[in-house]
Amino acid sequence: MAERSATAAPRADPEAELLRVGRALHEALPRPSRNPIEAVDRRAMELAAQDDRLRAALFRLVDVTPACRSLDDLAAHLASYLGEVERRPPPLETALRLSGSRAGRAALGAAAAAAVRHMAHRFIVGETPRGAMPTLRSLWVAGAAASVDLLGEATVTEAEADRYAERCADALDTLVEQSGRWPSRPVLERDSLGSLPRANLSVKVSALTPLLRPDAPELGRADAARRLRPLLRRARDAGAHVHIDMEAVDSLEATLSLVLELLDEEEFAEGPSAGLVLQAYLRESPRRLDQILEWAASSRRRPPLVVRLVKGAYWDHEVVEARQHGWPSPVFEVKAESDRNFEDLTRRLLDARPLLRVAIASHNLRSLSHAIAWNRVAGGRDEDLELQVLRGLGDHLMRALAAHGMRVRVYCPVGDLVAGMAYLVRRLLENTSNESFLYEQARGVPLEELLAPPG
Amino acid sequence: MRPFANEPTLELRRAPVREALLAARRELEPRLPLRVPVLVGEERGADSGLESTDPGAPSRVVAAGGVASAADVDAAVRAAAEAFPRWSGRSAAQRAEVLVRAAAWLRERRLEAAALEVRECAKPWPEADADVCEAIDFLEYHARQAVELERGPQLLQVPGERNMMRYAPRGVVAAISPWNFPIAIPAGMVSAALAAGNSVVLKPAEQSPGCALLLVTALRAGGVPPGAISLLPGYGEAGAALVRHPGVHVIAFTGSSTVGLELVRAAAETPADQPHVKRVVSEMGGKNCVIVDSDADLDDAVPGIVQSAFVYAGQKCSAAARVLAHEAVADALIERLAGAVRVLQVGRAESFATEVPPVIEREAQERIEGYARTAREEGEVIAEVGEVPEGGWFVPPRLVASLPPGSRVLREEIFGPLLAVERCASIDAALDAMTESPFALTGGLFSRNPATVAKVARRAPVGNLYVNRHITGAMVGRQPFGGNRRSGTGSKAGGPDYLLQFVEPRVVTENTMRHGLVVE
Repeated sequence: MAERSATAAPRADPEAELLRVGRALHEALPRPSRNPIEAVDRRAMELAAQDDRLRAALFRLVDVTPACRSLDDLAAHLASYLGEVERRPPPLETALRLSGSRAGRAALGAAAAAAVRHMAHRFIVGETPRGAMPTLRSLWVAGAAASVDLLGEATVTEAEADRYAERCADALDTLVEQSGRWPSRPVLERDSLGSLPRANLSVKVSALTPLLRPDAPELGRADAARRLRPLLRRARDAGAHVHIDMEAVDSLEATLSLVLELLDEEEFAEGPSAGLVLQAYLRESPRRLDQILEWAASSRRRPPLVVRLVKGAYWDHEVVEARQHGWPSPVFEVKAESDRNFEDLTRRLLDARPLLRVAIASHNLRSLSHAIAWNRVAGGRDEDLELQVLRGLGDHLMRALAAHGMRVRVYCPVGDLVAGMAYLVRRLLENTSNESFLYEQARGVPLEELLAPPG
Repeated sequence: MRPFANEPTLELRRAPVREALLAARRELEPRLPLRVPVLVGEERGADSGLESTDPGAPSRVVAAGGVASAADVDAAVRAAAEAFPRWSGRSAAQRAEVLVRAAAWLRERRLEAAALEVRECAKPWPEADADVCEAIDFLEYHARQAVELERGPQLLQVPGERNMMRYAPRGVVAAISPWNFPIAIPAGMVSAALAAGNSVVLKPAEQSPGCALLLVTALRAGGVPPGAISLLPGYGEAGAALVRHPGVHVIAFTGSSTVGLELVRAAAETPADQPHVKRVVSEMGGKNCVIVDSDADLDDAVPGIVQSAFVYAGQKCSAAARVLAHEAVADALIERLAGAVRVLQVGRAESFATEVPPVIEREAQERIEGYARTAREEGEVIAEVGEVPEGGWFVPPRLVASLPPGSRVLREEIFGPLLAVERCASIDAALDAMTESPFALTGGLFSRNPATVAKVARRAPVGNLYVNRHITGAMVGRQPFGGNRRSGTGSKAGGPDYLLQFVEPRVVTENTMRHGLVVE
């Protein structure tokens, strides 16, 4: 099936091809509720998605868990949050009663801590890069590459920035060393432009400097560059890929200019393989793509820049911040607009090859099918399109895509529970948004609707 | 009128917006120094007795103007009294229109106004812009509040009797304003007084006459009659004379506790020829505490505290001065705070990177350094920015700890970039430390337990408590602002009660029964 596109017939109708791809992928997804643990997860997520206050209570519990001093303390927090929920489902009513006694709190605290740990393990592959290697290896063997993201607390000091840079260096070394022993997986390590590194690290600029200031991007850019340069050298020398993540709009200017300027430096002309992120929920994203394309066209750098297209993970933050300041929202407020933009950007990116390498990151079956179909209809090869999903959210999609012969990469956070909390809450928010594809899919929305063009 | 909405601050994260501000600054440069006359009705001369200078480059004069004399003060109060009947005779809606026009005038010149604040008061751009927005907010908000107030409250009515309560302006308001919010604070006082129908004499801080002139120009451009708003640039003597003047009905003051209390005393004098008791609206200092609970998210607490304590070099009455840290998180918090203080950007206000600009004047610099010496002697300086630029009134940001409980560093308002950390065994202990202070302006709490939040909200005596965020930057209509205890008289600027300070209630009861007939 993977080979089909290379010989694809005359330009077919893209929507028809999209439906074909979408049905095939959907076919490969497991039926819901086979796994009892997943059923419980799903039930919890459903409850949360239906009741905003309950959702808030659960998120606050997850958020505070690592900061609690004891199980008793954790149970007291839980009771305090539940007290603010008006309509409590029976199990939570029981929980609230339990919190009345010391013994009850111990039991409740233990149960809550276990539940949060369970949830964290779904999204986080290990506490350290070394600890994550068995999971990364089994993903690879099963046909999925990974990009490792080191979770951390916010960087507010120089020491924290240095520590993060050291962790990145260590992760690169571990990934390069260990992944060298993995079996060959041609789909994952080669496209028509050449070979693709097995070791792939995602890096956050906000963690590389305590000086990111939205009003003075040059300050954080210069400070982050000091720490990013040695990482790029290390990746270049070891043959690893470094991907710079994109965060909130406040750091967009600094991040984008940092990456483009740094990669243009003479010493990085031949490597490493590097990439950045385009967020489709941003109204300015088409202009940002112009900027990236202009750069790519004029750059003398050899390895093509990898552009990962995502929807964007800071929607609530951006909307709230803009409302509080009375600013126009930097993100599309209607989901369909964002989805349409995602498809427009997908097509522009695919058409820009071989100037760029393209990775489409989404859990939306329509968006993924659209990318695969457009690539084929435009005469592209499957190997020149990468698809990406998040660990814990896109696991089923990952398997379906791999089975479909596509190159799929799983974004794999690594870190401890304290460090991972902000990430975890963002993922849960996404998962319980009643507009999310995964939620719709779990609710049993018909396939035709899931694959319909964004309204 | 449309419902009130806060004026949006500039989106400084966008490069073109920053460019526009720099252009406004370039345009302002050749117009400096501004000439600030004594304005009593018409101009009364601007013999150069007063100069404001750039705190980052003290040799540069930003505004030069007159010093109001005792005769000027008297003339201003008389002019205000003369203008009062006509101004107060207008309906609240008519006065509101004037204030809204003044707001529009200021809005059109907001970049220029911000540039002036950067130069005259060393307010970094985001702070300067926020101050201009707040001034616009006060004009718009108080205009609407006055229209609302004019309707008066509902009273019980029985047959044959008509009861009516309304609020009448008090007369002449003396506004004495500080330099740290050089347009917004005088705008708040003056617009409240004017909206309610009073006439006003404004005596701004000697450090910021240029900004005050801009406000008065806006008000007059909006249509406030010249007699109803006078400007008395000058020093403390002019303010003292104004406060003692028997023709003044209300004194609105924001500034230091020393001056504020002196003013309360002076206003209490009621000479025989003064047919009224003066009312004082006084906003004074703070010694603001931030409590950090054991379950606090330090990722939020550290930036929130640093912002609260060091932005604008701590020269805000709302700024954080003491951190009361639960001992379970104290070590981690102190380490991270120290690291965050060391990377603070100290520089001239006009640089967008600057977080800590120079302090307002030499005396302030010396005073703050004095507290730093005490902190070093009695405790320890944990973190300090090593190098600060030369040429201006720069003071390095400092984090201090291990001070004995009675230390003046923990008790007195420093009004500079110096933050003290203390360890507390529990939230109750932290609350005790907070409530022992005679100040009660702002306070902060970082906690993720709703029960703790409720407890602190109940016990903290402060006028404004901020939970899980920075403790500065109150917004008009959103965070009505003002302190309790020795921090202020408890009236809330930018809130629904503020205008009541500038009016007196009057009730009229009319018998509507005549020979058994109810005439209504």
